[in-house]
Amino acid sequence: MFGHHRNDKGRDDPDDLVLEPRDVTFDWSNLPTHWVPDEPLVTHTCNVLHLLLPAGERWFVDLFTRAVPLIKDDRLREDVLGFIGQETLHARSHQGVLDHWKTRGIDTDPYVAQIEWMFRAALGDRELPAKRREEWLIERLAIVAAIEHITATLGNWALNSPALDAAKADPTMLDLLRWHGAEEVVHRAVAFDLFTHLDGRYLHRARAMLTTAPIMLWLWVRGIAFLMRTDPELGGRVKPRWRHYFRASRRHLLPPAHQLVGQTLNYCRPSYHPSKEFSTGQAVAYLASSPAATAAAV
Amino acid sequence: MDDYQIPPPDLRGRAHADRMFRMLGALVTGYEWLANGAHSRRPSTQRVDRDLNLVVDEIRIEGQNVRSYRLVAAGGEKLPSWQPGCHLDVLLPTGRRRQYSLCGDPRDRGSYRIAVRRIDTGAGGSRELHDSVGTGCALTVRGPRNGFPYVRADRYLFIAGGIGITPILPMVKQAAADGAQWQLVYTGRSRASMPFLDELSALDPARVRLRPYDEFGFPASGSELLQYAPNQATVYCCGPAPIIANVRRDLPDSAAQALHFERFTTPPIVDGRPFEIALTRSNRVLTVPADRSALDVIRQQIPDIAYSCQRGFCGTCRSRVISGEVDHRDRVLTDGERTDTMTICVSRSRGDRIVLDL
Repeated sequence: MFGHHRNDKGRDDPDDLVLEPRDVTFDWSNLPTHWVPDEPLVTHTCNVLHLLLPAGERWFVDLFTRAVPLIKDDRLREDVLGFIGQETLHARSHQGVLDHWKTRGIDTDPYVAQIEWMFRAALGDRELPAKRREEWLIERLAIVAAIEHITATLGNWALNSPALDAAKADPTMLDLLRWHGAEEVVHRAVAFDLFTHLDGRYLHRARAMLTTAPIMLWLWVRGIAFLMRTDPELGGRVKPRWRHYFRASRRHLLPPAHQLVGQTLNYCRPSYHPSKEFSTGQAVAYLASSPAATAAAV
Repeated sequence: MDDYQIPPPDLRGRAHADRMFRMLGALVTGYEWLANGAHSRRPSTQRVDRDLNLVVDEIRIEGQNVRSYRLVAAGGEKLPSWQPGCHLDVLLPTGRRRQYSLCGDPRDRGSYRIAVRRIDTGAGGSRELHDSVGTGCALTVRGPRNGFPYVRADRYLFIAGGIGITPILPMVKQAAADGAQWQLVYTGRSRASMPFLDELSALDPARVRLRPYDEFGFPASGSELLQYAPNQATVYCCGPAPIIANVRRDLPDSAAQALHFERFTTPPIVDGRPFEIALTRSNRVLTVPADRSALDVIRQQIPDIAYSCQRGFCGTCRSRVISGEVDHRDRVLTDGERTDTMTICVSRSRGDRIVLDL
């Protein structure tokens, strides 16, 4: 009964956190189209998040809600419920950006419809016998765990991106990215622990990441191209180029490729556990000073 | 369901379905086939027991109506480690579950210490501990869990109100040990009612500011407490709800830059009336008392029900209403959703009975 404690990694980084959603709101009425000034590629690379996350996070919430009855660990159940609340608010906050764009005449529906199809149809439920239905649910939890490692990697990058402040990026958008990033870092172990509790087979974990990461990259590239075509201020004149990405990442305006590839491979190591990566303390400190999180209703 | 056979329209509006997404659909089908393949079977899920069986080793009087309990493992084992800000879930002999902050020394792996103020008008948890849990009593606890994480910083302002000193005390000691620049403002009804003054007197007296209400009055604003904040300080605040609300409001006008706070409870139910809930799927009728939420009552029957914020903003607990008029108290449902949905964590019934699809 006393042997369950996960890690004793010193007293510096807070551990065993209770996860709670925060009731945040963001006002987009003053958001410029290129919210990183003169950096359309950087702006739209970050903007792809708004296209992917509302549908994706609603899918997580749906899967996790159905996984709750399978959990035989009260502590993990608490974590999963906190995770569900946080993801619901993430989805809603990114949806707010899409809704704002719509009022400005930027229509992202065609791209979002494809993402909705991917999560709700391709990765949705099937008419299956109960046993196979459960297996399909858990297989998809392996995919959620893989995506959550990627979002924690991106969240950790967002918390350590002073170059975006120096480039005079819109403070409200930076707060959205960092608030979301901080909660991703704080709850980074939940999806992994849920998968480990219900399944835990190494092959399934690694396979999910090796399939998911290239698809995420592909969706990102398509999303950037789509947004740059739709961008009313670019009028289709500027095309995304890989060299623009590498230039921006060298200037620390976007996460560097080696970090993303490195973290993808890191996840595939048998000894990987999310608690060994990133700093909970830094994320918690951000949440204590984030304008949106501190202004949240009591 | 099952419309994955038909991929979404092309991104540039061409007449055919999107070719790349058609490939993605095929990839998912292949993945599913792999998932159902004949290789290693999924191991069965093991039940994880999180209970710690502890024994009350020592009880001390720490102030008017405040007692501290030293807890040790029934078999004398080492206890799970904890950090300042952690609490225990204590299961009382009558089945009540209460959370108490750990207020001892995190380096002591042999015992935990919690402190409890007896509240005669409360729901009975503190009375039960004070009246019927003595030295040698067995207690089952869960945890520790951290709802109030302490993060290393150079400058701190700690604000404690009454029994809210319990999570703050280990933080103050840690900050002092680390050589941080810190200030503590400690309020409470009177000096006699404020626990742990003796332990605090061992710290630098220039950093500890005692402000009992009977000498200074109840703090009229957050600024009154935040005035002691070192420049760019991180604030940790635990105490009565009005103090936390005032500190949150006045933080932007202070020298401090970040605020961590911990509330004791979910917000009280205002103007609650008792009502009945009929659950059609589980075929049960439950009574919700005036001072409890529908979620609270339903959870006892359906332990796997999904909920999260318990404050009516996340919408996780939304449930379909079959009949009955709902007193909507959430901040998340749209008017359209309100016609047939309720968030059971905060919303109640206008009439005597509500029927839910649960």
